[in-house]
Amino acid sequence: MGRDLATQAELVKLARALDTTPDEVSFAGSLDHRDIRRLRERVVDALYEEHRATFGRIAMITRLLPTPLNVRITLRAFPPLLAARIAGEMAPDRAAELVNRMPIEYLADGCLHLEPRRAAPLISHIHPDRVVAVVQELVARGEYVTIGHLLDAATERIVRDVAAVISDEALLRIGCYAESDTQLTTAVAALPPERLRGIVASAVGGPPELRSAGLALIARLADDELRARLAEYAAESDDEALTRLLHTAIDDGAVPELLTLFAALGEHTQRRVLTLPALTDPDVRTQLTKAVTAHPLESNVTFMP
Amino acid sequence: MREVLERWLGADARVVDALSDEELGELHAALVAARKRQAAALAAASAEALRQMPAPLRARFGEIVGF
Repeated sequence: MGRDLATQAELVKLARALDTTPDEVSFAGSLDHRDIRRLRERVVDALYEEHRATFGRIAMITRLLPTPLNVRITLRAFPPLLAARIAGEMAPDRAAELVNRMPIEYLADGCLHLEPRRAAPLISHIHPDRVVAVVQELVARGEYVTIGHLLDAATERIVRDVAAVISDEALLRIGCYAESDTQLTTAVAALPPERLRGIVASAVGGPPELRSAGLALIARLADDELRARLAEYAAESDDEALTRLLHTAIDDGAVPELLTLFAALGEHTQRRVLTLPALTDPDVRTQLTKAVTAHPLESNVTFMP
Repeated sequence: MREVLERWLGADARVVDALSDEELGELHAALVAARKRQAAALAAASAEALRQMPAPLRARFGEIVGF
């Protein structure tokens, strides 16, 4: 993910942790996105620990009441932020019983405040159809930051089920905001090859933000073989599409990601890409030279024709 | 200010060292406001939850939650 996107996403998540707006947390904008993430995790822990005993007592009461009454009380009394924190103190199977009876819109609201570290056991107990419905609701709201955040808590089954019902564009945007490269790689690896080829084609043939998202996604993959396969899919595009990808990488500061993708290609494909007429443009060559100097390729193949 | 934030966020929260005094002041204010909002929301939600409970159970559960 590009630094700006990563920083923006972390500021949104920090604001939600503090139950405020991104403008109110602009003080953290000077930090690296990894530091903002660490700060957010500390903030969540501090706010959670402050009332953990009360959350625990409320969770204990839910064990004594019938599920329909618990659901009614939760919906009428508890805002999604508190419900998400109380759910963290409940046994996952008990919390899932409630979740399976709640409206999708309320659950989607609650997702904005869930922490993957606490949510994973709960999510694995929720009926897969409901998880998919909640993700669809979040996609409809454009909540890609939230879904990417929760990708860490998703099982392979959930990834496959969700991928089957949402668009390539949505998957690319979610992948862009995934927090963990390892979990992103696991999620991408869970998709069937024909879907992956379609996602890459949608990225390369899409508008600039999707091309950037596709570059970021491929560059972040932690599996060399998988990265090489997706890079080869991208390189199957025609010269016009590859030239647009090149210019997007330069315009969006994603040349390091483009170089990672290029390095993953087989030698034959690299040679074909190097015949792109755009690579003879002096401006393009200058931009690439700067980037290659700053981010040397691991492979011994030079990017310049 | 720095000491208060270290107490809330953990003494090893290196991020506190990376922020200027002004930024720390804003982080402190945001945390104080969040703590107040959470406490108020929890009190209101607990009271409403008790109100929603069947009357015979209300007093017993009020004791458990601490109201």
